[in-house]
Amino acid sequence: MPAWVPPVASYLATGLRTTALLALVSIVASVALGVVLGTLLTLPSRPVRAAVRAYVEVWRGLPIIVILFFIFFVLPVVGLRVETFTAAAVGLSLWGSANAAEVVRGAVRSVPRGQTEAGAALGFGWAGRMRYVVLPQAARRALPPLVGLVVNLTQQTSLAAVIGLLDILEAAQRSIERLTLTGGDTHAVPILGAVLGVFFVVCLALTLLSRWLERRLR
Amino acid sequence: MLTADGYRFDPGFLVDHLDELARGLLRTLGVGVLGMAGALAVGLLLGALAALRVPVARQLVRVYVEVFRNTPLLVQIFFLYFALPEVGLRLDAFTVGWLSLLLWGGAYNVENFRAGFEAVDGGYLEACRALGFPRLAAFRQVALPLGWRVALPSVTNTEISVLKNSSFLVAISFPELTQTAVDIVAVSFRVFEMFLVLGVVYLGLVWLMSLGARAVERRFAVPGGL
Repeated sequence: MPAWVPPVASYLATGLRTTALLALVSIVASVALGVVLGTLLTLPSRPVRAAVRAYVEVWRGLPIIVILFFIFFVLPVVGLRVETFTAAAVGLSLWGSANAAEVVRGAVRSVPRGQTEAGAALGFGWAGRMRYVVLPQAARRALPPLVGLVVNLTQQTSLAAVIGLLDILEAAQRSIERLTLTGGDTHAVPILGAVLGVFFVVCLALTLLSRWLERRLR
Repeated sequence: MLTADGYRFDPGFLVDHLDELARGLLRTLGVGVLGMAGALAVGLLLGALAALRVPVARQLVRVYVEVFRNTPLLVQIFFLYFALPEVGLRLDAFTVGWLSLLLWGGAYNVENFRAGFEAVDGGYLEACRALGFPRLAAFRQVALPLGWRVALPSVTNTEISVLKNSSFLVAISFPELTQTAVDIVAVSFRVFEMFLVLGVVYLGLVWLMSLGARAVERRFAVPGGL
């Protein structure tokens, strides 16, 4: 093994841990918030739907990198000092929750009306109908697209490198720069190739899971 | 607008920088349109190859699609920009811009179009074959004109993502709209003015594109549905 490999590999591993943590936090926050917002989108109340709709359209419509820059630059201006990791997690969660909300809304809508009516006939209130009748059925339909969103969020964590978070991509970039400075080969092909490889293995596994879930649904 | 730090929204500042921002927007549209057109062409062509089950080509298309869909666009951009020169292929930021968007969006569109073509009722194609149409003619006369309509909503989503994701080119300092605005923020700290512009422009573009797509969908709707 060439001498440059071990230090670069351990540096990338450190970055990978940050990437994994960022992905985990963003996924959990996005799905949790998305379920709440998506359910609110199916309420009869017009003002509630309009407010949630505005949230979803804005954060879904903007490029993620613009959201990350916005959070990164705006929070300090309004007096909040946060770390890069937090800024990245907040930005990704805004985008992710808006997308998850759309998935959940679609899934709740796809549950036949008769189910809700049967729930009402049995004396369930709105919360009870949602909790015991609608959401368990909607969850099965929402699962494949939600796993797709998880794949997307996992990939988008790489954007945190642009605001300076030391994730796997930033670690790769710094390694390449350092190798350039010490003269000779940058080894950019194997280093960036390794980053592509890590994402590919994780995301392909999740994609296959999503497809399997979709097939099982039919 | 006044914040904790005594920030005051300054419309005059915005007006002063409109020229610069407009140039950034033009570059966004430049790489974006090239990327979108390319992604459409790649998706249509390779999607047809996949749906027609052309041996070998179909497997190669599969590999292309899985690789580009299961790795982050940003890392793909970095690879084209920083790693390719090492093997003797030096591309400028503009070329990397439209090429990466084309490759990335193309991979999604292959799947969109393939799914559309395959959604066309097999009975139509069998009828064609029974009438003596060769396979390719049956595809061209029946699967293509019906399938692209089925694919349209998902293709629209991909095309919108391609345009929005031209902002990823910030990472290689290509001076498109986002890079231009962020550069201005970095020297002036006029955060709200610049992000107002970014918000209005990107949301406006997304809105225009979905409006256009819906008009096309209505215009080409199959009477009675598929």
